[in-house]
Amino acid sequence: MSVIDKIHQDRFDTPKTPFALDIEDLSNFEYDMQHCIKCKGCYWVDHTYMPGMENAVRCPSNLWKEFDSYGAFGKMRIGLHLLNGELEWSDHLLELIYADPLCGACDVGCKRNLDLETGLTLEALRVKAVQDGAGPMPGQKKVIANIRETGNIYGASASRHSWMTEEIRVAEKADTVYFPGCLSSYQKKELAQSTAMLLNRSGIDFMLLPEESCCGNVAFSVGDIAAAREIAMKNVEKMRNTGAKTLVVSCAECYRMWKVDYPKLLKIRTADLGFEVKHIIEAAHDAWQEGKLSLRNPVNLQITYHDSCGVSRLCDDWEPYEGERGWMGTIEPGLTRRRGRQGLYQITRELLENIPGLELKEMQRTRENALCCAGGRGTSFDFPELSAFSATERLREAESTGAEVLVTACPWCVSNFDSVKPEEDPFEIADIAQILLKAAGQEGGTV
Amino acid sequence: MSIQKDAYEIIRTIVGDSNITDDPADCIGYRSGPGGYENGTGYDRVMTKLPGAIVMPDTTEQIQQIMKVCARYGVPYVPYSTGFYGPRSHPHVDSALIIDLKRMRGFEIDAKHYYIVVEPGVIYSQIQQICMEHGAYVVVGGGGAQTSAVANLLNDGWSPLSYRIGLPQRRILGLEMVMPDGEILRMGSLSDGEDPFWGEGIGPDLRGILRGYTGLLGCLGICTKMAIKTLPFQPVTPEPQGISPDTSLKLPEKRVKWLNFTMPDLESIQKAHIELGNAEVGGAITKVPLFWRAIAKAEDKEDFWRIWLKETEESVKNFCIVRIMLIGYTSEEQFDYDYRVLSDIMEELGGIERRTKPSDESWFKNADSAGMWLMTGSYVSVDYIMDSYTQAFKQGVSYMELKDRYTPPLMPDFKDLGWFQGCEMGHLGYFEFLMYWDQREDTSGVDQFYVETSKMNIENGYYTSLLSAHQPMMLTGPKYGPNYHEWILKLKEEFDPEWMCHPPVPLAHDEFVRRSPWMKEVCTWDPPEDLPYPERWKDK
Ligand SMILES: Cc1cc2nc3c(=O)[nH]c(=O)nc-3n(C[C@H](O)[C@H](O)[C@H](O)COP(=O)(O)OP(=O)(O)OC[C@H]3O[C@@H](n4cnc5c(N)ncnc54)[C@H](O)[C@@H]3O)c2cc1C
Ligand code: SF4
Repeated sequence: MSVIDKIHQDRFDTPKTPFALDIEDLSNFEYDMQHCIKCKGCYWVDHTYMPGMENAVRCPSNLWKEFDSYGAFGKMRIGLHLLNGELEWSDHLLELIYADPLCGACDVGCKRNLDLETGLTLEALRVKAVQDGAGPMPGQKKVIANIRETGNIYGASASRHSWMTEEIRVAEKADTVYFPGCLSSYQKKELAQSTAMLLNRSGIDFMLLPEESCCGNVAFSVGDIAAAREIAMKNVEKMRNTGAKTLVVSCAECYRMWKVDYPKLLKIRTADLGFEVKHIIEAAHDAWQEGKLSLRNPVNLQITYHDSCGVSRLCDDWEPYEGERGWMGTIEPGLTRRRGRQGLYQITRELLENIPGLELKEMQRTRENALCCAGGRGTSFDFPELSAFSATERLREAESTGAEVLVTACPWCVSNFDSVKPEEDPFEIADIAQILLKAAGQEGGTV
Repeated sequence: MSIQKDAYEIIRTIVGDSNITDDPADCIGYRSGPGGYENGTGYDRVMTKLPGAIVMPDTTEQIQQIMKVCARYGVPYVPYSTGFYGPRSHPHVDSALIIDLKRMRGFEIDAKHYYIVVEPGVIYSQIQQICMEHGAYVVVGGGGAQTSAVANLLNDGWSPLSYRIGLPQRRILGLEMVMPDGEILRMGSLSDGEDPFWGEGIGPDLRGILRGYTGLLGCLGICTKMAIKTLPFQPVTPEPQGISPDTSLKLPEKRVKWLNFTMPDLESIQKAHIELGNAEVGGAITKVPLFWRAIAKAEDKEDFWRIWLKETEESVKNFCIVRIMLIGYTSEEQFDYDYRVLSDIMEELGGIERRTKPSDESWFKNADSAGMWLMTGSYVSVDYIMDSYTQAFKQGVSYMELKDRYTPPLMPDFKDLGWFQGCEMGHLGYFEFLMYWDQREDTSGVDQFYVETSKMNIENGYYTSLLSAHQPMMLTGPKYGPNYHEWILKLKEEFDPEWMCHPPVPLAHDEFVRRSPWMKEVCTWDPPEDLPYPERWKDK
């Protein structure tokens, strides 16, 4: 008998309760919701990095609307009332739950001190909204219907591969699959092109997924687990059938889906997917380290870098967990908490800082403290005001660094920033693949 | 239940549609507990109610107007800066209005004269960064860098950094309050002009009434602006480093350093505090509980318990480490000189220096009290004592013995003495007694222990800081003063005759004892049948 069990038996009578990291049952997070202390670590930038009066907040939703109910601490309390059947769904409640890009700022903030599963609780709240017939939001429903009907979020009947150009080499069969995602396939085609050319330049042969379709990010993020699981199963199966060892993505949302949320949906570990998921940042970094990718071409630009959430605080490997909670809230068996430590912070900067002529000017909110642009996870379809608000706020911060270009690692961020940037503003938005490609000696995209 | 409709509509016109709400989900977002300070305690369960509405003003004028509407329509309200203070910053009566002050974000610094002027929405980490950039620092309350400096200084204001100016009220300079009738009261030099530099002004110094020892928890109006004294630091701004959760401030090596010394016994720790204070060396001196060290070492909650449960009463008793922050305020030479003075003192006392990291993890800009919840999930500081060193230690020992009787439900802490630090350059000893439990246990013992500590203080003639609003005032008042309670009630009557502002504070803990059957057995004093506050706020 462990010491804890002994003391527990002799002197305390805390009941043991089952606990799983399963967002399909909100009650798994009852303990977390009961133990939120309103420290607002989920709202403020990590205090050690607090820059002062400006740029002090990292939660886009609660910056947009300032009542506590828009912050994670408010939603934890609301979640308990929903769980206990003490609150009815309403339009306003749906706004509180859905006007949120689930960017993970709250999760890393909370895990700075307390290890509450804030991020999963917010996901579970959306699943409950769908289970109760209240969610998702109308625009998001339409997107899910589009995916069902056409395999892409736009409902487009055109080929997904119209982004390809003659100069891009795609293999019939290769060890690597490149998965561009809907946004780069249909709208931001230059990003898919830059990524593919960068892979070519890096000497990485790649193929495309047969019958490629959407990754299902919106379906998953808004709580439609059934739809998301179906997509996950199909995509993972298709990928496994290719026999390729690596899947490369250029979209931070796709990255998070494949690396974290597919395993979550399929109740497996990331390591058991059967292939490795890499963002183009990782693929390029590997190639650069192995000497296959040269970044010697000068890029005479002052840039600032926006850490997209999917490649930073949201991308720790997934591991299913089932256990029991007992003594003082401890759980058995132990669990390695996902605190966002696997974020691609360092390698991204290593690449950028090694490009001759390029000067990286960091924003005050960087890495795990970055302010999400709020364009992703289904937010922009129903809360475009929130997406525009956060992107504008972030753009202001980016421009105040004195940089000429804001570089990011996700087409959703690029698209959201583009949509709020005044046309006459010479400040540019670029994807990291475009910058790396330029450093590799090839023009691609607008930069 | 929302607040009165007419009052709501008028307040809406004052602040605009987007700054007021009575939506049920928004109100739940502002509920007290179930987590947070005093979580799961009887006080939280019995005394707090969901707010009826929330308003977010952003000017003093708006606050004045709101308070006048509340007075006219009989709407009770609670000032709320960040809301971290658990049930104490949440409504205790139905249909109350929370006046959320987060949009009051005014900030000015006068670097030359070492003070800042802040509004209640500004938090400590923001202030500390700007102060450090100007070669100054403020005392970030141990409650955390995320608390409002105004709210913290109205009620508390301690951390190891209070070594130089320990009494928080001495750091409050000119101040602006909106009184319950909506009129403005300016204190200190603000009472006679625009310069907030002096804490003392014309007429009596009202800071004593405003906060007494540990404040009146927002029941005497709303502070809208406060000038706060900053302390001279040194010129290098410490840089942040690391990725969450392992972040810290990198300290400039030849100007700022934490030093740890192992001391032979508790007595030598006391002497170290006194001698270092006499020599006017350092910026902080403290002895922290051993379990805080275990928190710092642990990877997670489970790891904490693995580490902590290896301790014994003996090992805890023998944990005699004193931490000193040395600051080269004026120069590297002064830093070196102070280090040599410190080393001489420690050598005489038998202290042995341990290795430390050249960084600050917790006190300077972070003060992450949030980490304390990791152990058990529930927490409260049951008393803070500021007294002579010897008296503060004596009181600490009594606490430890009383606490043992209430374990469980309190967590097994192997008779740890709590947190001790030196204040006012060695002239005062500060002891903070902390208790931790799991709110899923039967918490009656937690409630009882809390009140028993007051009784213990009275019995042994100890001074207690949590005198009025935090404890049953009908217990403590007659014993301290002997008419402390009468004075407080007269003040309340004078400034807030209808008890609109956070009712029924300062009698809320008395009310809690009255309403809670499990408190009967500890209620050995003689409270009045009917507590003296307006009938309209009594739970029928
Ligand atoms: C875990 C923990 C540890 C702590 N340790 C320490 C410590 O070591 N040192 C220390 O100094 N403090 C400590 N405290 C106290 C803590 O610092 C207080 O929570 C803080 O002082 C209040 O700031 P807030 O922003 O949370 O205020 P709130 O929670 O918003 O309010 C606190 C009280 O003040 C009233 N109030 C708020 N704003 C105003 C205003 N503008 N005018 C009038 N009344 C107002 C509220 O009604 C409420 O009663 C600790 C608290 C906790 C929870
Ligand atoms: S950081 Fe965690 S505990 Fe703190 S307020 Fe946010 S959700 Fe609650």
